[in-house]
Amino acid sequence: MRNRSLWIGFLLALGLGLSIALTQQQEVDPYKEAERQRELFRQTAGILPGELYAAQGEELFGQKRGSKNVSLEACDFGLGPGKLEGALTQLPRYFADTRRVEDLETRIVSCMVNLQGFKPEEIKRDDVKALTAFVASKSSEMPINVVPKTSQEIAMYNLGRELWYHRAGDRDMNCAICHDSYAGGKVRLSPVRSPRQGLSNEWPAYRFEADKLYTLQDRIAFCYESVSIHPPDHYSEPMIALSIYMLTEATKGKNKFTELPGFTR
Amino acid sequence: MKTRYFVGLLAMLLVGLTLSQQGPFQQRVQQAINSGGSKFAETMKQDRDQALCSQYRDKLPPEEVGAFLERQRALIKYPADGKLMGDWKQGEALFTNPRKGNCYACHTGDPKEAGAGRMGPGLVGYGQRGTSEAVVKYTYDKIYNAWASMPCSLMYRAGHHGILTPEETAHVTAFLLDPASPVNAKR
Repeated sequence: MRNRSLWIGFLLALGLGLSIALTQQQEVDPYKEAERQRELFRQTAGILPGELYAAQGEELFGQKRGSKNVSLEACDFGLGPGKLEGALTQLPRYFADTRRVEDLETRIVSCMVNLQGFKPEEIKRDDVKALTAFVASKSSEMPINVVPKTSQEIAMYNLGRELWYHRAGDRDMNCAICHDSYAGGKVRLSPVRSPRQGLSNEWPAYRFEADKLYTLQDRIAFCYESVSIHPPDHYSEPMIALSIYMLTEATKGKNKFTELPGFTR
Repeated sequence: MKTRYFVGLLAMLLVGLTLSQQGPFQQRVQQAINSGGSKFAETMKQDRDQALCSQYRDKLPPEEVGAFLERQRALIKYPADGKLMGDWKQGEALFTNPRKGNCYACHTGDPKEAGAGRMGPGLVGYGQRGTSEAVVKYTYDKIYNAWASMPCSLMYRAGHHGILTPEETAHVTAFLLDPASPVNAKR
């Protein structure tokens, strides 16, 4: 009897030890973890944080604002004034009215300035982010379709490719050495994808680890920060150039956007 | 005779132009970088070999490799006391700290560390190479300046950029090679 309980105790201890060893070996799959976190949000809040940002953006979009007291409903994102369905899929692109290549975020700022009469310094970054989330939500799960055609778009793509390979900073980094040469690997737990594999297809997204909405520009800035390079200003050429480069490559790889705004770590 | 002289002059002129000036595309790239703001432009400045790696998309042509490695080897500095293997415990902290070595971003080391990266080769059991002078020096040099053995590698030049001092490099070397380090724990 005594022997038997000893045996049971021994087996229990062995099982406990094994299960501890197994949980230590097991690494969290970041995609599954994001999915789990997303479900928890659905259950407790009934709405995803990204959807809240988009709803906020929708309200801003329809409000009469700025010195000209008009809404953004006449803003042309490339498919005609007020056409939002699939607008993000073909951005960045060249706009004749501003005579520059613009991504979604830059285009929103242009419309706030030219249509609504805001001064650039009056524009709040949070408003642009919410508006970006709203307009992007109209391209959820659609195929990416960025194909540089005009000379300006091709030039911007070439600039982006050059920046992509530009090694600099104390960490001797560029984008390509991780996102091309070692695509498929992991930095800590983060899987690293190449543009052709669809890198950039989930932004704007809510990052639950940061509890913030990140646009593609925010994500590029975060990348530069993590390799100790001071990020370029929002709406500047490096931001637009890198965006058109990545999204053109994602188009070549026949990628779709994820649910937008995305939900990620 | 006159034609020859003229052709020679033209050739010299062409060589001079290509050597002295950035091409128009490079000027345009610089203009775009400047438009990102002064702090961005400042941190995007390249040294000669960063520029070379960028130009060749991280794959140097064979004729560039020898001189590149020589330039990088010349940048390696050693601790004043000449000891290339320091204290593995201090090395562990430097290896782990994201603001210092940040080595777990890409490498495994102590097998107990959860969520180590998978970009670089795994380093569990690295010390099975022993601690001969050659192994210690190779390891130290690799940590101090990765580009001195592998041009344009993903691994950055921690010592050259001052992220690790020579003494700190010796500590990280010990973390990998010391038989007492958890990297080399018997399993």
